[in-house]
Amino acid sequence: MSPAAEKKGESVEIRERRLLTIGQALVQASDADETEVLLADGRSYLTRFAGNRIHQNVGAEEATAVIRAVVDKRIGVATADSLEADALEAACASAIAIARASEPDPDWPGLLKPRTIKPLRAYHTATALVTAGTRAAFAGRIIEAAKRKGGEAAGIIEVGEGALAVINSRGVAAATSHTRAESNALVTCDDGSGWAEAVAVRFPDLDADRLGARAALKADISRAPRSIDPGRYDVVLEPPAVGEWLQYLAYVAFSGKNFDEGRSPLSGRLGERVTGEQVTLWDNPRDRRTLPQPFDYEGMPTRRLTLIRDGVAEGVGTNHYRARRLGKRVSTGSALPASSSMECLPVHLFMKGGASSPRRLLEGMKRGLLVTRFHYTNILDPMKTVLTGMTRDGTFLVENGKIVHAVRNLRYTENVLAALGRADGLSRRLTLVPGPCVVPTVRLRGVQFSGTTEF
Amino acid sequence: MDTLLDRAVDLMAQAGASYGDIRIRRDRTETLAVKNGRPDHIARSDSAGLGVRVLVDGAWGFFGTHRLQPDALEAAVREAVAIARASTAIRAEPVRLAPVDPVRAQYETPCRQDPFAVALETKLDLLVRATQAMAGPNLKLAQAFFSAFDTRQQFASTEGARIEQHIVQAGGGIAATAIAGGDLQVRSYPNSFRGNFCTGGYEYVEAMDLAGEAPRVAEEAEILLAAPPCPEGRRTIILDGGQLALQVHESCGHPIELDRVLGMEIAYAGDSFLTLEKLGTFQYGSEQVHIVADATCPGGLGTFGYDDEGVPAQKTPIVEAGRFVGYLSSRETAPAIGRTSSGAMRASGWDRIPLIRMTNVNLMPGRAGSLDDLVADTDDGLLMLTNRSWSIDNKRLNFQFGTEMCREIKKGRLGQVYKNATYTGITPQFWGACDAVCGPEAWRLWGTPNCGKGQPGQTARVGHGVAPARFRNVQVGVKA
Repeated sequence: MSPAAEKKGESVEIRERRLLTIGQALVQASDADETEVLLADGRSYLTRFAGNRIHQNVGAEEATAVIRAVVDKRIGVATADSLEADALEAACASAIAIARASEPDPDWPGLLKPRTIKPLRAYHTATALVTAGTRAAFAGRIIEAAKRKGGEAAGIIEVGEGALAVINSRGVAAATSHTRAESNALVTCDDGSGWAEAVAVRFPDLDADRLGARAALKADISRAPRSIDPGRYDVVLEPPAVGEWLQYLAYVAFSGKNFDEGRSPLSGRLGERVTGEQVTLWDNPRDRRTLPQPFDYEGMPTRRLTLIRDGVAEGVGTNHYRARRLGKRVSTGSALPASSSMECLPVHLFMKGGASSPRRLLEGMKRGLLVTRFHYTNILDPMKTVLTGMTRDGTFLVENGKIVHAVRNLRYTENVLAALGRADGLSRRLTLVPGPCVVPTVRLRGVQFSGTTEF
Repeated sequence: MDTLLDRAVDLMAQAGASYGDIRIRRDRTETLAVKNGRPDHIARSDSAGLGVRVLVDGAWGFFGTHRLQPDALEAAVREAVAIARASTAIRAEPVRLAPVDPVRAQYETPCRQDPFAVALETKLDLLVRATQAMAGPNLKLAQAFFSAFDTRQQFASTEGARIEQHIVQAGGGIAATAIAGGDLQVRSYPNSFRGNFCTGGYEYVEAMDLAGEAPRVAEEAEILLAAPPCPEGRRTIILDGGQLALQVHESCGHPIELDRVLGMEIAYAGDSFLTLEKLGTFQYGSEQVHIVADATCPGGLGTFGYDDEGVPAQKTPIVEAGRFVGYLSSRETAPAIGRTSSGAMRASGWDRIPLIRMTNVNLMPGRAGSLDDLVADTDDGLLMLTNRSWSIDNKRLNFQFGTEMCREIKKGRLGQVYKNATYTGITPQFWGACDAVCGPEAWRLWGTPNCGKGQPGQTARVGHGVAPARFRNVQVGVKA
């Protein structure tokens, strides 16, 4: 039973059916030529701690309806944060009014037709029932791990549950439910800091002791960081850093809209080598190693989509509209909600691993850096995939395969597609990091670090 | 709604909250995007709900719900209290709040033309005409944007405060994207990333003359495609208003947030180099640098009447003649510096707790005249125009910004256009190298509508008043 529905005696299945019923009624009552309704209903809780104490602790029950109305190939979108009938009717009327004021889009292919969606369970009842007390105890274990190293802990424990339904006037009627649990720990020991993070469908898959111990160990050995000169360094990037690069790559390169508009570095380059042959990237919302999603936000079944295979550009994520504009019969199942101007984006990213392990990757490095994660990454040149950002919470100089000391944080400025192409080692094991991304630890040659900071 | 407010206050007190507040809030937004002469994306949203925040045994709990009904309110209070009690298991000292006089008040931002009441066709026509005025051989995307925000909020606290606020904000802009030979260059007006924003109505967007500026913007995008990359080196630079606003935002606005300073944001956005012992003594910048946080500034995107703790909007000195003198604070954090709240607590919606957010963090005008005067006064330098990218470390020291366009300055005259210009520095060194700030005639407000902070994430709309300024010996580009 979902907490949001508990008082109504509603099971997960009954809530999904309720959303479908609401959506179908709205679609049937709509005056538009075509109507699509996306409904979401759920709860989320987040406990935040810092300085070894809980300082923020919040929860919310939220509902969202995104209505896309089409009149004479003119499109309008309206959103209401409610499932009440009057709010939904007002949103539908608003979407129709917008459509009528707009211009026809000659490329509009019509809404998606229904397709068979293979069910995919991503709901864990016990996770939906995690209490504030359980979250506090989880935080307490991380804090204890920090204290054992003489440090202070900060971070979050977040749990959420919800249902999602897509209904349209061509017969799409899909619903699913999900849970999500995430935690991270930042431990500071004097002037050192360390980081660990985890995300899962099931709260019991998060291990507070392990997160706390890993962050505390890194913080402990990060004390007294020394400055090193900017320049090119070989690096071992841990999964949080790899995941951050991949998310930015997806944003600039793998959006079907950017691709269609010529703004993607892959525009006109499918089939061409765009990076080293070690690089294979794909999106797969159906893979149980990520946070699974059986259909996208317009009701298209999700599937595996290869983005780059052995260094060669192979695909981008599309919704129904972009797929048709790009001459494809069906989309890749990468639609975002109609309220998003981005339209489509692969958001369940994977990177192929290799045959190594994080330990062996370090041992094989003559002189370089171990990077735990990045901070404030941003895009400098989208067509060349040049990003900039800082290292943080565990950056170390490695010599002859051993960590010799922590280093003060560095700014990188780098063409990340090219840098990933210079991978000379990848771990076999893939790790799920928030994003979600499922990625290996990678070792790259010659990454450009352009500046330093004072800590 | 008054009944719900009264009921909430009673429930919170009955549940043993030493302090409690409730916000009932409705947010309406409208976003229009036009591309190449036709609507690309038109969307409206409407969000209403309530958020209950309680302090029980010295610890916080919060719960928000979209259901504006008595039973939902009662459940929300129960949830918030249960969450607060759980928080007490792991807390240090009990939270103590700086005092504030509870007020009963109403506040509304001025708005000549309600942006939501203007016909959609009228707004679209303005944007379509702007995109139709952009042309060029390599111009692939001519875009125009409009956004409007309408927030109505009722606030009540167990201390007796009752505040109603209505804030209307609007903005827009244009962008020309030229693509050729694997290169992409964007030129925007009046600012990048969807334009500029204020508290005000549709009149603000109409006054931008988007269609009038469009041909220049398109032409400059084409010029950038053909321009050489900006050479690396240590240079004198002048930042225009749009770029300087973001420089202030990132390198001053965030590090003065007292919750960051106290470590509350350390695991996410980071903390701050402006630690407590620096207050009143640290030389943040040169004597040219005067910065205030002013929530009362007419038209600013960070302008309001009362913050989300019921604290009146204020003008707080931050940097005086280069010396660091003030923080943005809340009722919980202000006692750490022996002061009362600066009135900076704001939530992004009914479903989020208030956090310390920037108001209008303004660099006050100097005596360097107009931008033309400052250029004329510069023998050898670069003029950096309109932000393109930004990044800064988690203590807000090492930053790197990119701008859409850069112009060489030689002997007081503008010359060569460069593309892909970036500059980097360390915050106090950079502001210490500020030797001139333009005067009141060049000072204007810039709105930043997408300031991110907190977990769960919140997006705030904040403002920055600046006049262009000059900085000496700055690292431009990346050393090979």
